[in-house]
Order: sequence, then C-alpha cells, then structure tokens
Amino acid sequence: MLALRPVNDRLVNPYTTFVAHESRLMLNLFGERATVTGQSLSSPRFAVTIYNGCNGLEAILIFISGVVAFPAPWQRKLIGAVAGFLAIQVFNVVRVVSLFYTGVYVPQWFGVSHIFVWQSLVIIFGVALWLLWVRRYALPRPAR
Amino acid sequence: MPSPDRHDELGVFFRRLPLALVAAVAVWLAVRTAYNPALCWTAQALTRLYENPPASRVILDGDGALLGRSDLRANSGWLRISLTQVSFNLVPLLALLFALPHPFRRGRWSRLLQAFIILSGTHVLTVVWHLKFLQATGMGAWSQANFSNLAREAYGMLQYFFDIPVTFALPLLLWVAAYPDDVFSLLGFDERR
Repeated sequence: MLALRPVNDRLVNPYTTFVAHESRLMLNLFGERATVTGQSLSSPRFAVTIYNGCNGLEAILIFISGVVAFPAPWQRKLIGAVAGFLAIQVFNVVRVVSLFYTGVYVPQWFGVSHIFVWQSLVIIFGVALWLLWVRRYALPRPAR
Repeated sequence: MPSPDRHDELGVFFRRLPLALVAAVAVWLAVRTAYNPALCWTAQALTRLYENPPASRVILDGDGALLGRSDLRANSGWLRISLTQVSFNLVPLLALLFALPHPFRRGRWSRLLQAFIILSGTHVLTVVWHLKFLQATGMGAWSQANFSNLAREAYGMLQYFFDIPVTFALPLLLWVAAYPDDVFSLLGFDERR
C-alpha cells in the first residue's frame, strides 16, 4: 500500500516531513540551528535527508500488524498500537539525531551506523516492544 | 495462559540481546567478504537465465554492486547499489536467534541454515529486481523498446516490496518460523505442557 503514489504523496511524505520536524526540535534543544526543507534536515554543521525506510513507518506497521494479529481484547490492542506507535516514533527521532551527530563527529562511520546498526536496532526494537506488549499487557494476568 | 513460573524468561532474552547483536554483527562482517561475490554471481546468473543474448551484468564494486548490460555503451545505464543495504537484515535475524536460550543446541543448526537460505534467496531477488527495474526504466529508448508499461509497474512494485517490507519483516517471520517453541515460550505459552 505504501508504494502506491497517492498513499506515498498524501501519507508517507507528510509523515516523513513530520519526523524531520520532530528531529529538528530535538536538535535545536541541543543548540543546533537546524532547519527542515522537505524531508531534509540541515544545520551549518551537517545535513541528512530522511527517505522511505528511514522514517520508522515500516517498523510501526510491522509492530501494529503483530498487535492486530494477536488474539487479545480489542481495547488492549488499541492501547498497544498507540503506545507502540509513540515509542517507535521516539526511538526513530533518537536514531535520526544520533545519525546527525555521527555525521558531525565521525562521518566515516555514518554509512555503517545508518545501514546496519540503526536499521537492525529498529527491527529489534519493534520485536522487543511486541514481545513486551504480549507478555505484560495483551493477555490477562494468571490467577495467583 | 502465560506461564507464571517462566516470567523472567523475557528478561533473560532482553539481557542477552545486546551481546547477541554484537555477535551477529561480527558474524556478518566475517561472512560478507565471501557472501557479496556469491550474491552478485547468483543474481547475474538468475537474471541471465531468461535472456537471449545473456547480457545482464552484476559486478562487485567494493561493498556495492554495479548493475547494467554488457551489450550497451560502457558508460551508459549503469547503477550502483549498496549490498550492505540489501543484506544487513541478516544481523537482526542472527541477533534474535542468538538471544534465544541454547541457540546452538543439537538439531538447531539445520533450522538456522534454512532461515539463512531463505533470507539469502530474498537478497538475490532484491538485486535481480533492482537490475530489472533499471533495465525497464533507466536505459532510455532501449527500455521503451523492450519493456511494456505493465512490466515497468511490476518491476517497480517488486523492487519496493523486496527493498522495504521483505527486508524489515522477514527476519521477524523467519525467527518465529525457525524456533516456534522458544518464541511461544517467550510469549508465555508452553506447548509442551
């Protein structure tokens, strides 16, 4: 669905721009003078562009698919989906900000950090969050 | 119902994850020097199976691959893709497997191997779809003459599907499929009871 142009133009791109603005706010808290143009985040020191696959949307959709597919009461699914969405959002902003500073201080590590450290961490974070939701919140607690 | 006496199993899994991730990265770094040439060779062979003349090229270029055709001008229509981006999902798969209790117990190697083969198959297909999409859309008049609009749409969709949904979701699915007992146990279900 995300590959369809109308979905990409009306949902994915605005969402990615939103992630860029969240990251800009975080960077400005650290004293950067960051600005956003489209999906590019730049400051006098470095610039990153957030593409599809880097916006956290796939991890969010995989997490929500897992929550929806699991046999749990719908109220717990709803709470899990919303909480997971927010948690992965926060995690992804940390990822973008971390990559920005990787680019500023150790640019030779940017590629490695971007592709296989943070992408792997995003997948593992989504799985860990889902396991936690299932184990702690999705099912009724056993009677003692 | 969740098993109350196995409540800390998830905690142990989470504590093992960071070390498992480091081990997975080490394995990936060790194998990729042999893996990347094999990936390029297999993708080229697969693409050429249905070509006449067989002219598609997948050339190893550092940690990437150059995609193109040998029957066009040498300086036109070549694309470089990152093989790291294609095969990095081996890292989360291995990390999730290594973090399970007794990941190398007897009989588990074959499951690990099966998961690895399936994931590698998707890596080959990812490179193939990149190459076919390039040939269908990026070689000017030659692309127009040799591919229909439907083929262009299909290769575009396949490239996206393998680039993002398969890359991100398959490690999780293979993890559950390879070790269902352990994953269900982590979730609090124990089928052996």
